Amino acid sequence: MSGPTDREPRASVLLGALLDAGATHLTGLPDGMWAPLLALAEEHPRITYVPVTREGEAFALASGLWLGGRAPVVCVQNCGLLESGDSLRGVAVRMGVPLLILVTYRGLSTIRAAGFDPLETDLTPRLLTRPDVDSGALLTEPTLRAWGIPYRFYGSDADAPLVAEAWAQAERDAHPMALLITQALS
Amino acid sequence: MLTKDELLGPLARLRTSEIVVTSMSVVRPWARYSDSDLDFASADSAMGHTADLALGLALAQPCRKVICLNGDGSMAMTLGTLLTITESGAPNIVLIVIQNGSYEITGNQRIPGAGRSDLAAMAQGAGFERVYRFVEGTDYRRRLPEVLEGAGPVFAGVAVEQGSEGPITRSEREQARYLRTSLAEWSRHLRKALLSEEQYLSKRSPRSRSS
Repeated sequence: MSGPTDREPRASVLLGALLDAGATHLTGLPDGMWAPLLALAEEHPRITYVPVTREGEAFALASGLWLGGRAPVVCVQNCGLLESGDSLRGVAVRMGVPLLILVTYRGLSTIRAAGFDPLETDLTPRLLTRPDVDSGALLTEPTLRAWGIPYRFYGSDADAPLVAEAWAQAERDAHPMALLITQALS
Repeated sequence: MLTKDELLGPLARLRTSEIVVTSMSVVRPWARYSDSDLDFASADSAMGHTADLALGLALAQPCRKVICLNGDGSMAMTLGTLLTITESGAPNIVLIVIQNGSYEITGNQRIPGAGRSDLAAMAQGAGFERVYRFVEGTDYRRRLPEVLEGAGPVFAGVAVEQGSEGPITRSEREQARYLRTSLAEWSRHLRKALLSEEQYLSKRSPRSRSS
């Protein structure tokens, strides 16, 4: 994971890395953290953005795109990832789709500031109902682990090579792979 | 109301190079009419995610029609996909929804809205180019060529009798070829078939021949 940076990761750099890796379609539900990427993708001639009405659709739609020979990328907020459980499990994973998933890690800074390590924290009912705790952020990494989805962190432009590396791993394993976007794109 | 044979027989006779995606209670019956490499069973998968998968296929293969045989219970799980389809502008998807008002695979429990709701009206409201309702076989057989031809997206709601299909497995015990292997293996099989044909066609294109 990249270290702290003064500069937000640029959407243009991420889009460039996706295109270099061969991405043909981007599908998902808009989120403020990746909105700049969406704006660029919608205007770019080499990638097609396909909006969905809920995140679970994006995983099935992307699996259909892959089945038809294309190279889709799913981009969702972490809460949208939680919404997508059975679609990711039953469609993308069961089909063996080498799918790159970009997940915006909303709430990460608040749980870090509160001193929580998502993988070491006891997820008690008391904790999960605390108004100052982002339960979506707390559950993101444990959920990916439970679902068997490997992941890495994308937090600055220096992480752009991770796109090709993650996709190569997904292809090698015939299995989805996630990149957690830890800072809003600019 | 149609029987499954009245639904599937005419469709199998008219089907040429279309990809056919099946789900739930028509997965096995369709395989009695078709053994094509271009058939795909959305089984051992995730309920409610057949139409969105079929849309992905249609967007990936714009020169080929994709016929999706979805159940009304499955469609009810992801009604938003009606909007996703029309928003995508895919003209090559034909979404046929089998309306038996029940979850047949689990014992024909009633689905919410059965007999009161109108999925075809929802499709119309979502902006489908062409919407059909069929409640008897003669009308269905007569108009099916029109359903399958021309630009879409097309929605056809077909009233079908309840049956007694049991849970679907993927194993050697199944008769259907597309169920005798894993979902992952059949996915690779179909993808390879589609990509091979694309490569073949691109080699035959005038641009390729002149270069």
